[in-house]
Amino acid sequence: MTTFTSGKDLEQYQKNLQKQRDTKKTCISICSGTGCHAYASEKVVSAFEDQLKKQNLTAMVDMKRTGCHGFCEKGPIVVIHPHNYCYVKVKPEDVSDIITSTIKQGKPVERLLYEDPETGKKIMLETDIPFYKNQTRLIFGNNRKIDPKSIDDYIALDGYKALTKTLTKMTPQQVLDEVKKANLRGRGGGGFPTGRKWETTKNATTEPKYVIVNCDEGDPGAYMDRSLMEGNPHSVIEGLIIGAYAIGAHEGFIYVRQEYPLAVENTENAIQQAEEYGLLGKNILGSGFDFTITVHRGAGAFVSGESSALMSAIEGKVGEPRPKYIHTAVSGVWNKPTCLNNVETWANVPFIINNGAQWFAGMGTPNSTGTKIFSLVGNVNNTGLVEVPMGITLREIIYNIGGGIPKGKHLKAVQTGGPSGGCIPEKYLDMPVDFDELYNIGSMMGSGGMIVMDEDTCMVDIARYFVNFLSSESCGKCIPCREGLRQMSRILNDISAGKALEEDIELLEELSEVVQMSALCALGQSAPNPVLSTLKYFHDEYEAHLHGECPAKVCKALIDYTIDPLKCKGCGLCIKSCPVEAITGGKKGAHTIDTDVCIKCGNCLDTCKFKAVQKTTGKHRENPKKLVTMEKR
Amino acid sequence: MTKAKNKSHFVGVRLTEEQKKALYTLQKTSDLSKTDILLRGLEILSEYYTLGLDQPPLNQELKKLEEEAIQHLHALKQIKRREDSVKHMIQELREVDEIIDDYDGEKSALIQILLKIQEKNHWLPKPALLWVSERLNIPMSQILHIATFYKSFSLEPKGENLVRVCLGTACHVRSGPKILEAAEQFLGIKAGETTPDMKFTLESVNCLGCCALGPVMMINNEYHGKLLPSQVPDILENYRVGEIAMTPEQQKLTPLAQRPTNPQQR
Repeated sequence: MTTFTSGKDLEQYQKNLQKQRDTKKTCISICSGTGCHAYASEKVVSAFEDQLKKQNLTAMVDMKRTGCHGFCEKGPIVVIHPHNYCYVKVKPEDVSDIITSTIKQGKPVERLLYEDPETGKKIMLETDIPFYKNQTRLIFGNNRKIDPKSIDDYIALDGYKALTKTLTKMTPQQVLDEVKKANLRGRGGGGFPTGRKWETTKNATTEPKYVIVNCDEGDPGAYMDRSLMEGNPHSVIEGLIIGAYAIGAHEGFIYVRQEYPLAVENTENAIQQAEEYGLLGKNILGSGFDFTITVHRGAGAFVSGESSALMSAIEGKVGEPRPKYIHTAVSGVWNKPTCLNNVETWANVPFIINNGAQWFAGMGTPNSTGTKIFSLVGNVNNTGLVEVPMGITLREIIYNIGGGIPKGKHLKAVQTGGPSGGCIPEKYLDMPVDFDELYNIGSMMGSGGMIVMDEDTCMVDIARYFVNFLSSESCGKCIPCREGLRQMSRILNDISAGKALEEDIELLEELSEVVQMSALCALGQSAPNPVLSTLKYFHDEYEAHLHGECPAKVCKALIDYTIDPLKCKGCGLCIKSCPVEAITGGKKGAHTIDTDVCIKCGNCLDTCKFKAVQKTTGKHRENPKKLVTMEKR
Repeated sequence: MTKAKNKSHFVGVRLTEEQKKALYTLQKTSDLSKTDILLRGLEILSEYYTLGLDQPPLNQELKKLEEEAIQHLHALKQIKRREDSVKHMIQELREVDEIIDDYDGEKSALIQILLKIQEKNHWLPKPALLWVSERLNIPMSQILHIATFYKSFSLEPKGENLVRVCLGTACHVRSGPKILEAAEQFLGIKAGETTPDMKFTLESVNCLGCCALGPVMMINNEYHGKLLPSQVPDILENYRVGEIAMTPEQQKLTPLAQRPTNPQQR
């Protein structure tokens, strides 16, 4: 095992690695990200291993499990080098075809290629697929090229080059200046300028100082930090070491959600490899700089992603936020200056050092530089992770990359920023996506969740969902958040049950403002965003609920299932699917649903082949009691 | 041969089929004469009468003794079981000890230690928590504060199969709640509960982090993506039957789950 004692050592090793790598040798790279893993990519891997062994091809062909490719919709994804044919939705049965045509004869297997839904054309290369073509893959680009468990793969692709440059040619101040000039902003949600944060910690007088990677990705609907940490852990570690050097910290933590076991495993493995190579530990690359990293697993609490809460979790305490009269950058873990950044922020650092601040600032908009990874999910054709330059419009992301809304439905809203963000209506689709623009229309960048909602989504239900979520995740330390959210949740539950009054909506608005102004931490302060943004842009839906109608036909209390006697063929499928035996009717005759018995599970609607089952709404106005919600609990 | 078979009386006493057979073998295998056997029989009979075994009180006494013996046997078994469970507990505490030693007994590693215990047992048994409290010198109240704050910890034993239905935003807009309903209906329990036969624990979670596959249900370590509510019963049934059982490592741990120690109730 080589331990590098100088920058030159590492450079030499890198050159040797690049020379040794035979670019013409056939290499099967199989995505082993969580998405593809769920589609049983492991079975595809073992099928390949079996077949290669049987046909004595093991020596001629390399196999590689790579990080997440991002196009999770079409997983498992297999790319065969050097032709770079990209196969989607590969099953173990397809393996023998791939070996006979592609590996032996160099021909693509037509049926496994991606088909452009618009033109119907088969696309051979991964980079030509519209989903990838319209992206700018900077941070996420190497994910599909390297095996996350191999440090050599990372080094061969110029990995740790930025670290060498930092430690051998730059002073800490120069590193800091570069990051400040690049105008990098925190990717975790707030968008605070990273350089300024570093500077505060650097200038703090107390010692020792700490740096932290925040990979407590709790936002529902976002998983890009997971894919980075699982797919390319070394890029984050390199960024962290560079940051620690600039700040003057000698100890770092990587805080990973316990729910991401693969991320924990790959991170721990990467740290061990970096230690063996002398890229972590004492006297890194002969520079005299010492730095160690510890992995800390989060035990499952959404609020622990907040910086001060995360720090008390690292201390082994309950992860509750504290008031930040003094910033954590000055007094964080064990009351020492601590610099915490998100996974993606750290991963940006090596690129800035390698290519210079000017190059970085050239991407994106003046106030939001660089790229951003979004997790494009929900009601959109191409779900997955997309990396785009800041300032791109929502329309470009959803239609050019995401391929539009499935089943020809209409887009109703886009939700960004997780539970703290807001719902953006269709009219803002052409707005550029950056930190400030999103904030101005009542949402936020957040960590990058982008949930597309079609016409079948009820906005009241979405607001109710988020408030219920946050109310259950509130740590309960401050009253506005604990009690305020509880009351808001009660009002929203009443609205979606058709039991609310006009003044309830006013009360909801008032409560939202109070919580926004008075809560202790960002969780509480931003909790009303989903409510306020839906109230602002979808007020008519709230009104409709007051009149006993759910326009999207989602809120259970306000809908009924009925069978159209003209369309019903009496096949009896719905009768079998009904769990409560609410449907009656003889063979060949039209069936009927007893609405008193029906629990509105929707099974009949899903099973009916003749579209005879319909949802109706309206006529559901109960006599509302005055201010039901404020009565005693 | 035929003589012995047809013999239905022995010195004037009517014999049953079994007695006949016994007598026949006795005559064949031993060199006792007919008279000897008769005398021996009479001897036993007289002993029976002299001891008063035909009297009802003695009969009862005998039954009582027998019952007592059975009871003692049960008690012994119970002691054995307790001994086993104590041994098990000691073993378990040893493992806790090892975990604590891995972290050099650092107080700040409390959450990491609890996570490891949870992983091993699928819940946090009270003796283990008391031991952690003792070793790290952290009050039990603080440990319970942490154990109840974080979602990963459970103070109650969990079922053999952990079913987690994702209700994150992406799954929510793709009808995740319907998947949960289907699971609840099939298992007959609400989210957060365990079936009485300890086969399933059903949980709803806020995000499993594979949003592109929504709606997602995770059973043990297997993901089931892009689900329809109608598929749920079949998938769960497979686990009930045990076709896809737990890993051997997980199975080793199941006896623990049967021990009813709820730290909150004690």
